[in-house]
Amino acid sequence: MSGTSEPPELRIPRGNLLRSRVVSDVGTTLSRALDRELTGYATLVPQETLLLSGEAKGVLTFADGVPVLAYNTVTDSGGPDALAELAVPGPYRAELYAVDAGALETAHEEAALRVAPGAAATELADDQALADRTRAAAPDDRVDDETESDTDAVAAFLEDDERIAAIREQARNEARSRAEEWGFDDALADAAESDGRDRRDD
Amino acid sequence: MVEAFAVASGTGGTGKTTSTLALGMALADEHDVTVVDADTGMANLLFHAGLDDATVTLHDLLVEGTATDVSEATYNRFGLSVVPCGTSLAGFEAAEPGRLRDVVAELARDTDVLLLDSPAALGSKSAVLPVVLADRVVIVVEPTIPALSDGLKVQEYARSYGTNTAGVLLNKVRSDAADVAEQAERHFGGPTLASVPDSEVVRAARRAGEPLLAHAPESAPAACYRRAAARIDIQDGDGDAVADRFRSAVVPDTP
Repeated sequence: MSGTSEPPELRIPRGNLLRSRVVSDVGTTLSRALDRELTGYATLVPQETLLLSGEAKGVLTFADGVPVLAYNTVTDSGGPDALAELAVPGPYRAELYAVDAGALETAHEEAALRVAPGAAATELADDQALADRTRAAAPDDRVDDETESDTDAVAAFLEDDERIAAIREQARNEARSRAEEWGFDDALADAAESDGRDRRDD
Repeated sequence: MVEAFAVASGTGGTGKTTSTLALGMALADEHDVTVVDADTGMANLLFHAGLDDATVTLHDLLVEGTATDVSEATYNRFGLSVVPCGTSLAGFEAAEPGRLRDVVAELARDTDVLLLDSPAALGSKSAVLPVVLADRVVIVVEPTIPALSDGLKVQEYARSYGTNTAGVLLNKVRSDAADVAEQAERHFGGPTLASVPDSEVVRAARRAGEPLLAHAPESAPAACYRRAAARIDIQDGDGDAVADRFRSAVVPDTP
């Protein structure tokens, strides 16, 4: 819809704050929006900063409870890319806002920012049942969005080498400190130079 | 010869138990395969293998003071040796993770392939133990960001504890995930063994209490699992040496 090479921006009216919480699982927020058939938006700020190159602040809009657009106001990424950036382990600070019916119609025409109806539940909350429930509630004309942008966020995640390296490093440190805690020290592969299998032949 | 695999995921609900039994049955065409439910806290292999009424289970072997022989908890089903785990909370609480090592060592003497259906978590000693004990890990993930993130964590834990990756199994794939499979392969440092489609037939097999390859051997997911198994090149190991290795693995007593 933008018709230019500039990345589209998200412009939405300020809504009425319904709820502000720190949630361990974004599914809580998505489920609430779905159940009350919210037309409005959620702001999602991951509290996990280790895995993010900078801060992220996500905006997810809803039409009748079903997610429509995703945007990261820190990186200006939109759509599946924004979802991929926001998909980190919780907790998140989540705020839900309602806007007047129809107030988001113009914003929702921005195809480049769209996400598949079930993608937020799948990628942010890891909740297939909620994703199915959301897809079932989506209007027919949104179903076409589904297959395409559902894997787009996953592809964007897998292309982010820096982030994957950060996940690995964090896991490595965790594995090491827990080995000490659990008395697995001797199992640590550090000593073996190659693949670690060597230590078993000692 | 024996090679021990931990089938692990890091996230629940990825179809780990279905995958363990399916890979086991596919590998059983050429090897003697023993499948162990090493998920002692959330055992469910028995429901998948029609062993709901098993009287002796892994729990009995892991509780101090019960002198049950490993063979009593081993059931021959679907061409496999299956060691199910019980579901009682009492059994779980009394189970000593360290004894799993001895059970696995015992089983290693008399099989070609050991598949350890592992807990979907990394938060405790007993959850990580199968990954520590195994030669290689098969990582089962759904093609979603949270599941892939957790799968990467499992792999890094495995690597830290000297366990290699046999490959990644993409499961419950809903749409064409060719790109995802290729990218995953790049990151996981092991082949993507298969992309198994999300399918009603898998749920039907579970409801029937039968492994997928017994319930619907001609189905598309079953074919994927057979291809995945064919891509795992079983390495020869000396059964006694492996048993000794397990015995000497450093596993502390429960605090």
